[in-house]
Amino acid sequence: MDQRAGKKDERFYQLLQQLQEADFALVELNLYLDTHPDDEAAIAQYNQLAQRRWMLAQEYESHYGPLMHFGHSYARRPWSWIDTPWPWQV
Amino acid sequence: MRRRRKEEPGLYDQVRFWHPHVSPFDPCPPTRVKSYVVPPNLFICFQPAGLPQFSLPEALRAGTLWPALYSPYPASGKS
Repeated sequence: MDQRAGKKDERFYQLLQQLQEADFALVELNLYLDTHPDDEAAIAQYNQLAQRRWMLAQEYESHYGPLMHFGHSYARRPWSWIDTPWPWQV
Repeated sequence: MRRRRKEEPGLYDQVRFWHPHVSPFDPCPPTRVKSYVVPPNLFICFQPAGLPQFSLPEALRAGTLWPALYSPYPASGKS
């Protein structure tokens, strides 16, 4: 277990929760738009939500480390990908 | 349905029952009534645009973004 691991603050859980909610709604809208490609309102909602998700991810990564690896998120010094808690430990 | 579950009102319309044949040679106590769930998507041929939506936290809990498509699908087959 890493030394830097430990109890996270309130915002950590809030952000993860909001990311999960946004991700789920984006999946729903994505599937909906697959069969309704001309629904302007849904496309606007999708883009709005994608932007919100991006901002949440930015805030999360700037405080708590990368959400993705293999170059899809920036890394900090020291390397923090291996730090706990891991997703299934939250 | 034997037990009423107030927190899931949509459940009542979505559960159907049948009475399976009970063999006189059945070695086990028979199940007289069985139930199955008919989720609302079975009755929506093509989803209309602009349906009312859940809020994001509700959607995550319900497993769908649209109340019209929500099915509680109880975990136990008994109630």
